[in-house]
Amino acid sequence: MAIYGGYPPYIFCRIKKKKCKFMKNCSYLRYLFAGLGIVLLVAAHHYISNREDLVKEAGFTLVLGATFGVLLQRSRFCFFCILRDFFEKKNGAPLTGILVALITGSIGYLVLFGTWVPDPGAGYLPQDAHIGPVSWHLLAGGLAFGWGMVLSGSCVSAHLYRLGEGSVEAPIALLGTGIGFLLGFKIWNALYVTTVAAAPVLWIPAFAGYGWIPFIQILFFATLIIWLLVKFSPATAAQPEKNLSLRLIGEKIFVKRWPEWLAGIGIGVLGFFSYLRVGPLGVTSEIGRQARKLGNKLNIIPAELEGLDGFSGCRTDDTSVIISSNGIFILALIAGSLIAALLSGHFRPRGISLFTVGKTLLGGVLLGLGAMISLGCTIGNSLSGISAFAVSGWLFTIAMIAGVWSGLKFFPGKRK
Amino acid sequence: MTRKLFSAIVLVLAFGSPVLASDALVTTQWLASNLNNANIRIVEVSVEPGVFERGHIPGAVNFRWHTDLVDQVKRDVISRENFEKLFSQNGIGNETTVILYGDNNNWFAAWGAWVFSIYGHDKVKILDGGRNKWTKENLPVTTRSASVKPVTYKVTRENAHLRAKLTDVLAVAEGRTRSNLLDIRSPQEFSGAVIAPEGVKELAIRAGHIPGAVNVPWATIVNPEDGTFLPKEKLREIYAAKGIDGKKPIITYCRIGERSSHSWFALHFILGYDVRNYDGSWTEYGNAVGVPVNNPSGTVWTGK
Repeated sequence: MAIYGGYPPYIFCRIKKKKCKFMKNCSYLRYLFAGLGIVLLVAAHHYISNREDLVKEAGFTLVLGATFGVLLQRSRFCFFCILRDFFEKKNGAPLTGILVALITGSIGYLVLFGTWVPDPGAGYLPQDAHIGPVSWHLLAGGLAFGWGMVLSGSCVSAHLYRLGEGSVEAPIALLGTGIGFLLGFKIWNALYVTTVAAAPVLWIPAFAGYGWIPFIQILFFATLIIWLLVKFSPATAAQPEKNLSLRLIGEKIFVKRWPEWLAGIGIGVLGFFSYLRVGPLGVTSEIGRQARKLGNKLNIIPAELEGLDGFSGCRTDDTSVIISSNGIFILALIAGSLIAALLSGHFRPRGISLFTVGKTLLGGVLLGLGAMISLGCTIGNSLSGISAFAVSGWLFTIAMIAGVWSGLKFFPGKRK
Repeated sequence: MTRKLFSAIVLVLAFGSPVLASDALVTTQWLASNLNNANIRIVEVSVEPGVFERGHIPGAVNFRWHTDLVDQVKRDVISRENFEKLFSQNGIGNETTVILYGDNNNWFAAWGAWVFSIYGHDKVKILDGGRNKWTKENLPVTTRSASVKPVTYKVTRENAHLRAKLTDVLAVAEGRTRSNLLDIRSPQEFSGAVIAPEGVKELAIRAGHIPGAVNVPWATIVNPEDGTFLPKEKLREIYAAKGIDGKKPIITYCRIGERSSHSWFALHFILGYDVRNYDGSWTEYGNAVGVPVNNPSGTVWTGK
């Protein structure tokens, strides 16, 4: 069976020690679980929608998160893998996905800014957009985050969707992220007083207007896409065109990796929907919030984090509610990814070595530390920040890419 | 009889039901049918950032209380020049009636009404029930910004007497002036059991209340279901039961002067009493040195 035969036996089969054939003996189990997952998600959506004791737009947030999870899993939207493909394999095609997402996101944000902040020079920023203070802390945070990506094998959002694929590294990396957040909280007050407090919050339209700068940004990404496609696209063996059968369509949707452009548009549009109804996309705020809760309980972080809750970005305040909007979002993300992975047969936990455990944990710590001090990760800062024309998003991203590049140079090793 | 019936019909047509507590309030129905009224400007003042942008009453403009209505450096309300600029830019002329509404039971909308009144703009009304009632009734909202034509607004008179300062309050606490002090915070804050509501940062060094103050929590003067003000007569009764009958001047306060604006609005606009709002409130008084404090809970400073 050429289409499905490429995958190793599925987890459920392995438990039963049976050989697995498509739609024979045990693989129905994963369809059953996927179906159950969909039913549970819909039930959860029904249960949390329009409830006044929950955060606003809880139902909508759940749909967003699940869709994001499906998109990430189906397109393997992992910033690290994408950058590694570019740096090591000289394959720029996956990178175009991020650029398409940034173009789509920038257009979406411009649409909203035009009505939310009619006069960009009026002296206030677009409400709760991911625009942060600008100073060297973004470079330090971005570098740490980039190294963390190399060591742990991906960034926070990719670890989250890999949790849905049954990855064993992901929970270790996410645990490390929590520890990294605690370290960040420990040094935050010193960082704030010496650096962040006086750092300007720079929003490009505030000093350049809506006239042409936003279009330069979009044009820049478009040029990059063309450059990547011309210079860095791997030769692919021409595949014979098959007649589109129902089965082929099903395979394209549920099994094969989605094309970069589709993922890019999907994620860009999702970011726009999220900003319109709830707030900018981000995946670290709930992790930070839980870490802060724990840190407060154990009394190992300062009770007062100076100025932190005043910044928009991956916020960690409001430790009183059980689950924040971002918490619902990332839980739904994991669920969405799990369902997509079950359907495509990517749910495959594997054992890892102790060395990998240590490396992943250390990488996770760097991810958390980097995301904490730069107030966001590759989703919050790079995607939502650059889409919002924030200088902070640009600086973080440049440093993060430099981190990945140097990390690949200095921490060589076998990578899958 | 016919005339009475006729006027009743006119009233219902004009304002819908239920009948308003006062002409300082407008109902959601009235506003919904007056969205294109050229003589009004709808202004949202909400506590939570981002709610205006994600859906507001069509035609409304957004006043950000923490930047637009205050002085951002010193603790004070907006300066006269900036007030004139704000109104001019948002197309509010001296004859325009401002309809205010906001989230959280109109707390900051009422605060806006107080600031506007200080600068002599008393053509100000509040949407009864605020943002919450409007959205619960599924009335239209939009994310589009209103197109406003700037005008020139001039402050013609200031009503500084609507604002109480620390010295005014101290004079009452020490018995030098005869006024009613009205503390509208929760009973726990009033008694000194807590210094501020949970999760609130701006604190005071001491807990309790200003001696002589009576406690009528703000929530007692609204309908719990929809946040609208209780009828005028009911308000009169509630305050009279605590000895506030309008015969003496009144000073309202809370923690930062925001919730107390809500009660100030009821006393000033609905009941027509002589009332000032003390915006320094407990975050000023509870930190002031040497002022008398009443603390029925018996909480004492332990250095923690």
